[in-house]
Amino acid sequence: MAVTDNAKIVTQASWLSRNKLTIAPWLFLLPALVYFAIYVVIPIFESIWLSFYEWNGLYLADGTSTASWVGFQNYIKLWDDPKFWMSLKNNVLWLLLFMLAVPAGLFIALFLNQKTPGMRLYKSLFFFPFVISQVVVGLIFGWFYNPDFGVVGSIWKALYCEETVNLLGNVTFRCSQTPPDILSSAEFATYGIIAAGLWPQIAYCMILYLTGLNNVAADQIEAGRLDGAKGWKMLWYIVLPQLRPATFIAVVVTVIGALRSFDMIAIMTQGGPYGSTNVLAYYMYETAISEYGERYGYGSAIATVLFIIMLFYISYFLWRMYQDEKGGR
Amino acid sequence: MFPRPIDRSGFATQLGYQIIVPIALLIWLLPLIAIFMTSIRPAADINSGNVFGIPSRIALIENYIAVFTQSEALRYLTNSFLITIPTVIISVGLACLGGYALAIYRFKVALPLFFLFVAGNFVPYQILMVPVRDMSVQSGLYDTIQGQVLFHGAFQTGFCTLFMRNFIKALPFDLIESARIEGVKEWKIFWYVVLPLVRPAIAALSVLIFTFVWNDFFWANVLTQGESVKPITAGVRALNGQFVNNWHLVSAASLMAAMPPVAMFFLMQKHFIAGLTLGAVK
Repeated sequence: MAVTDNAKIVTQASWLSRNKLTIAPWLFLLPALVYFAIYVVIPIFESIWLSFYEWNGLYLADGTSTASWVGFQNYIKLWDDPKFWMSLKNNVLWLLLFMLAVPAGLFIALFLNQKTPGMRLYKSLFFFPFVISQVVVGLIFGWFYNPDFGVVGSIWKALYCEETVNLLGNVTFRCSQTPPDILSSAEFATYGIIAAGLWPQIAYCMILYLTGLNNVAADQIEAGRLDGAKGWKMLWYIVLPQLRPATFIAVVVTVIGALRSFDMIAIMTQGGPYGSTNVLAYYMYETAISEYGERYGYGSAIATVLFIIMLFYISYFLWRMYQDEKGGR
Repeated sequence: MFPRPIDRSGFATQLGYQIIVPIALLIWLLPLIAIFMTSIRPAADINSGNVFGIPSRIALIENYIAVFTQSEALRYLTNSFLITIPTVIISVGLACLGGYALAIYRFKVALPLFFLFVAGNFVPYQILMVPVRDMSVQSGLYDTIQGQVLFHGAFQTGFCTLFMRNFIKALPFDLIESARIEGVKEWKIFWYVVLPLVRPAIAALSVLIFTFVWNDFFWANVLTQGESVKPITAGVRALNGQFVNNWHLVSAASLMAAMPPVAMFFLMQKHFIAGLTLGAVK
């Protein structure tokens, strides 16, 4: 009896210790994995599934949802929805113009890459806009663009307006041209918001490049100097190739930043005027949770389109990572 | 070093550089400076159109007090802390465990699972919005602080795990190997060998996640409704509606919303930048 018990304990212990390296990772991983799956992984599939339904988010008394299957109907509607195409067009515009952050960030990084006293403080002050909430950046720029008392308005007044004081002593302005109201113009509003968005994004790219520049091999630069490389040639043939990892990340975060643009639009224009500044992220939100009742199905269809666009970048990023992993341990 | 170090060039160039940098900085930060200048103006200045000139007097304290007494700003700020700090603890804690598992053990699905965390970290928020909102409503977490913490915690776990795994992978593997040969239990290796070594990563992640979550605006709108649980980002927008044309108060409130991440960044600058670049470049 005692012998079998002992034997059992021995086998148990040895089973555990034999499989220690198989079980342990799962114990460490499980909390993060389960939690991440519940809030991130499963909802992705739920959203895609929901995009084939029409649903106002309500449930019947017995707890079943009121959603009804509509097949590809939401996507067909999307195809004929001018607001969707407008948003998609603006997303492309964001993607293209946001890319300016990469060279601009590089430029500032090159400008600041010196070791004179106080440089560290300057670098971190230049980085400031990235730390600030986009809501605040949106508010600041919204105010900047204000034609009556914003910076744009004031510059305009200085250029085109005459200050007159009437009999009662009130100051009025007479302008030869009315100041532009950037955020109310269907033509320019998107550019105004993108310009505001570029401010923190340039700061982000700058910091990536500054760190990259720190790691540029000094001997190659010196060798280049001996060979007579200077200025642009040095930058293009010797420095930029070494900055490739920084460039890659700068492009990735800029693409993601452009496709995630939501905060500034919500703060500055709410997609207006007439939907001219809408992007998919904001249009989805506006559709899914609107004053006119919730349209979860249609919203999910928009989200799915945005997700598929993003998936290209995610796949590319993962593929790059996979190449690195194969090379490593 | 590229470009050529400025101290190797002539005196004139050096002097020029020393002058140009602060000017460039001033222009770069002009929006911020303008908003700060506005926040210390008395209301009379704004009404009389003196928005950019020299303030007629400094109303700094007065304006900031007005924001607190005339609005829910204090409530919003408290909420932001109540949401942000637990999120940091949850996501960084889970990521230490998960990152350790993915970096140290060789099992078949380690790489796919790692990629799952990486990919999840990049998805657009909108693809999660409806299910997460519905789940929160169903479980009574909608319009609560906990509901926001739970979501942010989960989402940030993705980024933190990516970061931690790469950090731990770069540690010398011999340390763990030799501890194993000594017969040290797995969780003790984690606790006594690995955890002390990842302290810099924990610091870097904490600052980053603090900033990310503090600045969140989207989820504050999706997961809350009432004023009582809104964080400061959503609060500032509400204040903007409340203080129409009282730009001095809106500016003061905006700066208050911006302050904590800025302070965090300044205090832990080294970790912050290390975090941004390591999380990204590795």
